[in-house]
Amino acid sequence: MDRNNSTPLSAWVEERLASLAPGDYWEPDSAAALARLKRLHDSRSWLGSRWPWALATAAVVCLVLMVSPSPRVLAHRCLECTVAVWQSLAASGPTRADLKPESARTLAPDFTLRDATGKELTLSSLKGKVVLLNFWATWCHGCQVEIPWFIEFEKRYENRGLVVVGVSLDSDGWTSVRPWVKEKKVNYAIVIGSDSLAKQYGLDGMPLTVLIDRDGKIADSHSGIVNRAGTKQKLGVLLAQ
Amino acid sequence: MSIVNAPGEALAEMNAREAQFDIDGLFRAHYRRVARMIARVVRDPARAEDLAVEVFSKLWHNSGAQGDHVEGWLYRVALRAGLDELRRQSRRARYERLLSFVRATPSPSTPEQPHSAAEQQERVRSVLNALPQRQAEFLVLRSHGFSYDEVALTLNINPSSVGTLLSRAQQSFREEFIKRCGQE
Repeated sequence: MDRNNSTPLSAWVEERLASLAPGDYWEPDSAAALARLKRLHDSRSWLGSRWPWALATAAVVCLVLMVSPSPRVLAHRCLECTVAVWQSLAASGPTRADLKPESARTLAPDFTLRDATGKELTLSSLKGKVVLLNFWATWCHGCQVEIPWFIEFEKRYENRGLVVVGVSLDSDGWTSVRPWVKEKKVNYAIVIGSDSLAKQYGLDGMPLTVLIDRDGKIADSHSGIVNRAGTKQKLGVLLAQ
Repeated sequence: MSIVNAPGEALAEMNAREAQFDIDGLFRAHYRRVARMIARVVRDPARAEDLAVEVFSKLWHNSGAQGDHVEGWLYRVALRAGLDELRRQSRRARYERLLSFVRATPSPSTPEQPHSAAEQQERVRSVLNALPQRQAEFLVLRSHGFSYDEVALTLNINPSSVGTLLSRAQQSFREEFIKRCGQE
């Protein structure tokens, strides 16, 4: 049953569409096309029969890379190198200790938190010392770059009156923090903070490093990875005050 | 209907079905018509042949398509491959025109460009490209000599609605053609 009823409209349209008909001079080369189809099929079948193996191999390789510590260590070293190069370039200009003038400094919000041993640590009790307060987390890669510097500062300036305090914002608290601190041999006080405390210090991105002078006032606040040389210089100024 | 409950059985059934599937016979019976249909839509006949081979290759790998309505599947997929290629070609041509405008290279056309068959083909293709895909499908199948029943089978629609839908597609074609090229 075919209804080939030809109306003026269909005749008009068909006349134009007829221009698309390939000329009789052109014939598709069926033999060559069939050979191509078979080649294509063979290559796909080859791949098709091997893709579960390829997938399994890729999964195993990924798993090994994820589990192995070497790629992570390598990535960490790359990050450290990048930061070191960037900071050395930034420090090529004149470096100054850009601390807030003493008159503009405000009192650091006080807190009492427990450290890993359960001992209470109250910020106001550290008056008379210079405090480097660092908000961090185990998952924060930037934080992990600067923590070795804080370990060094603590070692070098402890006897001049510096106290470094790391406030972790890990949501699972000591579960993640305790093994991490042990592994990295952190030599300064670590406490578990809260979002409300972070808010009081105006945290808008991790890490956040706050320098508190001997009067318990905020002398400097830096969001992001600190400049190692600049921070050392600032600490020198604060410890001399 | 057999219930296949083991992956090994399913695989064996698939292999058996593939072994029964006569791709050579199907290819010999339909390749020419499929390739010529795609060649109506795309500009380059060699490209049309490539697309036709790809469609047969898809069919070979798709055991779900190798049923009773294999021919409908074959022409439907071929037609869509051709129309997709036409859209790609048109997009590319538009970018190239834009690029040549930015680079300010002289147009390759001569001042006395003859009104050729190729020009008419380009007009018709540009109109087909502008239409909704479904309408373009109706028009290409019909112009390729498909009967109403074959159109219905290929596009998976009720044969009784082919006339109405085709008429609507023709109306749209004429309106779009006149909009683009004016009354001839």
